[in-house]
Amino acid sequence: MEKSLVHLLGPARTAVEAELWDDISPEHVALWAKDWKPEIDSLRERLIQDKVPREKWPQDLHWDWSEKADATRAMLAYQRFALTCEGRLQGLMLINLVKATGRLPEQHGKHLVYVDFVSTAPWNRPDFVDKSRFVGVGSVFIRVAVELSRMEGFRGRIGLHSLLQAEKFYRTTCGMTDLGPDTGYYGLAYFEMTEAQATTFTTEPPKK
Amino acid sequence: MTLNLSDTEMDALEQLAQKKDLNKTVVIRQALRLYQMVDQRMREGKKLFIEDELTKDKSELMFI
Repeated sequence: MEKSLVHLLGPARTAVEAELWDDISPEHVALWAKDWKPEIDSLRERLIQDKVPREKWPQDLHWDWSEKADATRAMLAYQRFALTCEGRLQGLMLINLVKATGRLPEQHGKHLVYVDFVSTAPWNRPDFVDKSRFVGVGSVFIRVAVELSRMEGFRGRIGLHSLLQAEKFYRTTCGMTDLGPDTGYYGLAYFEMTEAQATTFTTEPPKK
Repeated sequence: MTLNLSDTEMDALEQLAQKKDLNKTVVIRQALRLYQMVDQRMREGKKLFIEDELTKDKSELMFI
């Protein structure tokens, strides 16, 4: 497993160094279980106590990264990534290289990198805390997906189904094309990035 | 390692590479990834179906 240096925006909104790992290790899963899961469980309990309707809950509360890591270990179709900063786990991403091909007319049927799951730590999420500790985990991961797509010969093409709370990020910040709700995939909106959009995303300042 | 392919197999590989806009190494890699995933799912007791998008007819793919 190798790591590379990336940057996130810290509490003072200045760049801080972070480590991007090209696999999810047992240590990363242990950090998820120790640091993330209790906060996620606590939020779920608060939502139940406050009688918040289920459709208003963050849609990824049930994701179990321990199970996802176990199910994908040694599978060639998956690429797994972890992001750490200040010794804490800040994000996890699971990519599938064979799950989907392009749907947009200009890349229909062509291979792309499919971003299966992306999570950022509870303390970085506006739906968990008033002020995110680190900003930029999602952007780092989408850049990684684009770079992987280029390395695989997919020319930067990526695709993903977005949870409701992340749609604006993929549409506005990443500049991906929103193909609308996918009735064949839980009704989640499907987004795709073309080669040209990948170039824009990786060379121009992010849009808010 | 050296990969030995017949002319027909090489033709198929080249056609796939051209059609998918990929080089031949990536086509082989994708095939291996897919094969491993299908094999894993079938060992878990799952089945693989091909569905006709228009008629919704399904046919099971049999692997030995």
